[in-house]
Amino acid sequence: MTSTSPIFSAQHVHKSYAQHVALNDVSVEVAPQSIYGLLGPNGAGKTSLIRIINQITAPDSGEVYMNGERLQPKHIEMIGYLPEERGLYKKMKIGEQALYLAQLKGMSKRDAKDSLSQWFKKFEIEGWWDKKVEELSKGMAQKVQFITTVIHRPKLLILDEPFSGFDPINANLIKQEILQLREEGATVIFSTHNMASVEEICDEITLINKSKNILSGKVSQIKKDFAGDMYTIHFKGNVVAFANAVWGGWELVERKQIGEHEFVATIKIHDGNTLNNYLKGVLEAIEIVGVTKVMPSMNDIFIKVVEGQTAINSTQNGAE
Amino acid sequence: MSKIGLIIGREYTSRVKKKSFIVLTLIVPLLVVAFLIGAIYIGMPEDKKLNILIVDETNIMSLHIFEKQHIARTAKTTVDPNFQYIDPGAKFNENYSFYNYPLDQGKVYADALDEFPTNDKVDLILYFPANIKSSKKVKLIYKVSPNSRVQNYLNLLVNESIERVRLEELEISKETFEQLKEKVAMDVVNYKTDKDEGVSKKATIGFFFGLLIYLFIFLYGVQVMRGVIEEKTSRIVEVIVSSVKPFQLMMGKIIGIMLVGLTQFVIWIALIFTIVTITIPIFLGDKYDPTVQIDGTTTTHVATGVQPMMTNQLETQAMLQDNEILMFLLNEVPWVSLIGLFLFYFIAGYLLYGSLMAAIGAAVDSETDTQQFMLPVSLPLVFAYMISIMGIDDPNGAAMVWCSEIPFTSPIVMLVRFAATGGEGLGWQLILSMALIILTFIATTWLAAKIYRTGILMYGKKVTYKELFKWLKY
Repeated sequence: MTSTSPIFSAQHVHKSYAQHVALNDVSVEVAPQSIYGLLGPNGAGKTSLIRIINQITAPDSGEVYMNGERLQPKHIEMIGYLPEERGLYKKMKIGEQALYLAQLKGMSKRDAKDSLSQWFKKFEIEGWWDKKVEELSKGMAQKVQFITTVIHRPKLLILDEPFSGFDPINANLIKQEILQLREEGATVIFSTHNMASVEEICDEITLINKSKNILSGKVSQIKKDFAGDMYTIHFKGNVVAFANAVWGGWELVERKQIGEHEFVATIKIHDGNTLNNYLKGVLEAIEIVGVTKVMPSMNDIFIKVVEGQTAINSTQNGAE
Repeated sequence: MSKIGLIIGREYTSRVKKKSFIVLTLIVPLLVVAFLIGAIYIGMPEDKKLNILIVDETNIMSLHIFEKQHIARTAKTTVDPNFQYIDPGAKFNENYSFYNYPLDQGKVYADALDEFPTNDKVDLILYFPANIKSSKKVKLIYKVSPNSRVQNYLNLLVNESIERVRLEELEISKETFEQLKEKVAMDVVNYKTDKDEGVSKKATIGFFFGLLIYLFIFLYGVQVMRGVIEEKTSRIVEVIVSSVKPFQLMMGKIIGIMLVGLTQFVIWIALIFTIVTITIPIFLGDKYDPTVQIDGTTTTHVATGVQPMMTNQLETQAMLQDNEILMFLLNEVPWVSLIGLFLFYFIAGYLLYGSLMAAIGAAVDSETDTQQFMLPVSLPLVFAYMISIMGIDDPNGAAMVWCSEIPFTSPIVMLVRFAATGGEGLGWQLILSMALIILTFIATTWLAAKIYRTGILMYGKKVTYKELFKWLKY
């Protein structure tokens, strides 16, 4: 493996607390320069995994690699972490504070200062250097927090719910910055509940539920895998003729009229039948404008997978 | 700079720059000096002039007093040739004026009492009843209660007077009387130095340092706890522990705050010393006329007034005592070793308690939740403080010995013992105490680090002791 060797990988990681298993045999591989989504309901174990990557805690068993090396303290400086529960020292001037956090990440004072002044300019907050956090609005504080996360040019960015609490303008600003950083070579691990943002920016995802990795892969592939034989058919013509054109092997899921004699129908092709067969049948009855395969949203997949697992678990538990 | 250095630097500078730190650092020495001057000032003899009316139904008892007054005012040495000797007693206080109530002009004691409320010129009435020999009582009548110094002095004069009358009656000669009254002083000395080591006084100095340690541990220990809670509640802690180890963060905070405490201590000592050297001569210059004290002998009896014919002169007594305290402070206290030991026990005690307070801060979500954990931590400190108060009189008692070895109380108690004995005879006890506290703070720091590591990232959970015990095993 050359260019595709992962920047970060976790193999069969276990982590448990006194009476609670946080991670159970979780494996993750993050390709360099990708945006990797770490998904899962609350309490699934995402934060535990993130803390292991940050070396805040260590796994009970399993291997964790960074850049092909076993995870070790020197890697801390390659990582930028924006926790979900994030804060700053309330009484400290934000400039000093950002400088301090950058130095803790191993930057020299001069480098940190230069770099900070660029970021402050970029985010249009140059005048805030001497302000205290308690004087700032929440959105302003979040800009500062984002800057302190990326100031030391980390190779791996870990963002836990980065958009929560941002107004749409700032959320977009942060999104553009994340994409820009990826262009410049950074890899992003992105933990969220917000499935819309996952579809928008993630290349690959892992779905963790009940401390287990239950789904992972490329977003496009997962969507393909979860797409059933559902199609939307945009047509002109008579609805009755459309409905009666083919007997059996399909069902109508939904139908909308969008103009005089113009409709969009969502259909599902039953097993044993094909789209081609179906289309042959309706071609004579109606005029087809367009046919598209229906792709499930990540949100649907998330719910389906998580609920499906819950159902399996409950039947298993019932059987015991 | 290393990361722990950065943390120490932030903890230190962010506190030293605070207004409250600057104000406290400047105000405390001023208060201490003001208190010191006030204490000395109050201890000074009062200048107030008193007019005392003597109502003497015996006609003879008060003669001595008037004679003394006369001698003092005219500087003559003889007045009454009938008396065999003249005034070996207390020096006459020039602030007092005695007047005789003219009973021979048909007035009685009751008249004097009637006039007393309206007579501004009379402050006190001293009444010698006719039956004084059987009742053995005189009466001092006041409008405003005289202080104990005045009372003691008048009591002394009255007893001198009565003694003289009795000498007359018993026909005892002056020589016999003086032989009779001659006192022997008891010198309490240490067998090595052949002088009095003033153990109690020295223990008091030690107690003062112990008190400082007690205050510092509380003051700065609580700052550690608050600092941890602040980082936890502001949620910056997760960002920081992704850059440094929780142990580094905890130790950086503890050490940084300790340096703040030491800075404050050094500034206090320097300021107090400077202010004292500048202000004491200004405020007390006129009071501290050294010639007044020359005739003071070195006996250390306490002037109680009921001991008549004291060889010491009463007015200079207070001066002398002040002077002794000064001399004692300058010459007898082993300042260098005491301050050295203070620094050791302050650092060791602070590290011990500071690490526990850091653990408490990490275990809770807000300061209001700290009480259940603060109690067991502060109890030994308060206990040590109380033991020390009792131990001033007996610094080598069993309770003091034990508490000076137990690391949770030794920072305070050992200082009292060390100051009292000058370290003499402590030997292995001191070494053991120091070794124990070092071992203990290493142990508490280790335990605290475990609780801290888990606690700082744990929110919204009501923590119990059972829970804390579990964290130790993570």
